[in-house]
Amino acid sequence: MSSGTPSSTITLTSSDGVDVTVERQVAERSVLIKNMLEDLGDSGEAIPVPNVNEAVLKKVIEWCTHHKLDPPSAGDDDDSRRKTTDIDEWDQKFMQVDQEMLFEIILAANYLDIKALLDVGCKTVANMIKGKSPEEIRKTFNIQNDFTPEEEDQIRRENEWAEDR
Amino acid sequence: MPRTRHATRFSSEAPSESSSSTSPERAADDDTDFFMAQANDSESSIGVANFRDVHMQQSGRNVVLPPIGRLPPEILIAIFSKLSSPTDMLNCMLVCRGWAANCVGILWHRPSCNNWDNLKSVAASVGKTDSLFAYSELIKRLNLSALTKDVSDGTVVPFTQCKRIERLTLTNCSELTDKGVSDLIEGNRHLQALDVSDLRSLTDHTIFTVARNCPRLQGLNITGCTKVTDDSLITVSENCRQIKRLKLNGVSQVTHRSIASFAQNCPSILEIDLFDCKLVTSPSVTALLSTLRNLRELRLSHCTAIDDSGFLNLSPHLTFDSLRILDLTACETIRDDAVERIVSAAPRLRNLVLAKCRFITDRSVLAICKLGKNLHYVHLGHCSNITDGAVMQLVKSCNRIRYIDLACCTRLTDRSVQQLATLPKLRRIGLVKCQAITDQSILALARPKISPHPMGVSSLERVHLSYCVHLTMKGIHALLNHCPRLTHLSLTGVQTFLRGDLTAFCREAPSEFTPLQREVFCVFSGEGVNRLRDFLNQAPISTAVDETEATMYDDDEELDEDEGQVTGLMHATAINDEDYIDIGPPPHS
Repeated sequence: MSSGTPSSTITLTSSDGVDVTVERQVAERSVLIKNMLEDLGDSGEAIPVPNVNEAVLKKVIEWCTHHKLDPPSAGDDDDSRRKTTDIDEWDQKFMQVDQEMLFEIILAANYLDIKALLDVGCKTVANMIKGKSPEEIRKTFNIQNDFTPEEEDQIRRENEWAEDR
Repeated sequence: MPRTRHATRFSSEAPSESSSSTSPERAADDDTDFFMAQANDSESSIGVANFRDVHMQQSGRNVVLPPIGRLPPEILIAIFSKLSSPTDMLNCMLVCRGWAANCVGILWHRPSCNNWDNLKSVAASVGKTDSLFAYSELIKRLNLSALTKDVSDGTVVPFTQCKRIERLTLTNCSELTDKGVSDLIEGNRHLQALDVSDLRSLTDHTIFTVARNCPRLQGLNITGCTKVTDDSLITVSENCRQIKRLKLNGVSQVTHRSIASFAQNCPSILEIDLFDCKLVTSPSVTALLSTLRNLRELRLSHCTAIDDSGFLNLSPHLTFDSLRILDLTACETIRDDAVERIVSAAPRLRNLVLAKCRFITDRSVLAICKLGKNLHYVHLGHCSNITDGAVMQLVKSCNRIRYIDLACCTRLTDRSVQQLATLPKLRRIGLVKCQAITDQSILALARPKISPHPMGVSSLERVHLSYCVHLTMKGIHALLNHCPRLTHLSLTGVQTFLRGDLTAFCREAPSEFTPLQREVFCVFSGEGVNRLRDFLNQAPISTAVDETEATMYDDDEELDEDEGQVTGLMHATAINDEDYIDIGPPPHS
């Protein structure tokens, strides 16, 4: 890519060493990258993204491309929406990936500081939890029960008020 | 097993200052307390658990980590925070130790105490010495207001260990005394909002306890705590200098001494309500307005000792650009001079309540016209000097008015109402006892002539026409058919409508009404409006006057239960109109 002044594309290098070219505006959905570009200036050199592999990086870029025109931080400081787990249709489809990828996307969104994507990811997981019993949740996420029966019992007793009546 | 061992294993202690008390500046709550006017399920700190056991889980056995195991605690917490049902949160706690430690703080942030069984369960866990988690450290909001009189000093004993409560809402728990409330507050340095409305036995003792313990206090509502005096309130003003919202409604011993001290010491005050503080005088008004530069809301309803000098003594150079709401209901000696002054100094007033300021005249109304499109809500009930000319000018100048009350403005005629009918956003109009108006007014409201509504339909939702004795079926029938959003229509004392076949759709008269009052009561609301409309559309209506003998009830007030009798508080801002909540976020301090 040319090292001319503010180029409209930049290059990111994934953790597995693959260079990915991306529109600058798209990459700037990531606050981390935006700040780097502001601090370092655009030298035209590839920016390493050491925590994110190529597959995940491409997925994140796909999301950022779709949302590149969103107003900044929409929905983020809106308290009334904080609790809801509504997800728009495109995002729902986007999040239909295996768990491995889902959690990698969440981790990447967290690392790259893309709040809206992190939010969608967390909502997706919350929706996978809602209405399930503890055992169903464990099955869903392949989690081992490390409680003793006594402890489980005690949690139930001490949190009785939170149970459906 | 002793709790200390559990605590190491399952440490759920809320962490140090860094993560606690991040409650935002606005002392808002989604609880049913007065702070909720700024409805906001704010992010007052979640008691985040310690993650020691996560390491344990990871290093303890030879467990192959599932994909979700890669999520760090802060992301797990973000996920759990998206859950709204306590049951879902509890189910998460029961998944594994790591989830339990990360979810317990969210579940216990605001334990639900809306019924007695829940309260007992919550209290029992808090009081247990060998509980799995230190629940008392995790509670940030406690709201017992749903249990009202069932809450006694004994009930709250277990909660005296909860020293990290940030919002404590005890509204209407009227059996609580100084003992119970002070024990709850003693030692709590985190309290930000306290609502003890209608705990009538509370004295200075409790308020001194607040002053001594709660430097972060931002909201205080002691409505109806009539025993509280200036002495303790002055100490509060000196010690709790971050106060933003103060409600002293009906705290009748309050005088200029404490108000002056709040004005001097608490520059962050945004809202102050002194409803019925009859000893408060004009110098208090001058002091509050002069020193509190962020003041958004000043309520002085029924502060009858206040006169024009409170406003006329303000320095002529001061303006009050933050002031949005001013309530001077029944400040009976207020005259045009004061209104002219305050309106020109506070050009962004949105809600102005001058009900029962009976000396004001058209001069005041013409001054109010200067507020232009900023004015959304204006109450001029019982300002009986007002004439058609001024009202017509008001409508022309302030065309964003959504709410207007002109009850008992007996000089007004159809000319006023025909003009009012052109307001494109009008949702609520009060014309009780405007006895000169006729069906012409109502037909105008039904079919506005100018300024077509943006949606093509009338925006009217609430129409108060009690004691407009000349009204007939023709006008009301048209109103019903042209105002699809109508949810309230009051026609108390209007002869034509006091017929059994129509009053069948009325709601019940309030229980405190006398038989005489019941006889003339005629208020349609909600579904009742629709049923009345359907009924009138079905059958041709005889316009014959019913024989029912209805004596005009000789009271100054409308006999609707929902207006007039309810006074003050957040009433005015809490009308179901989102526009009144959007007075913007408080400035960050």
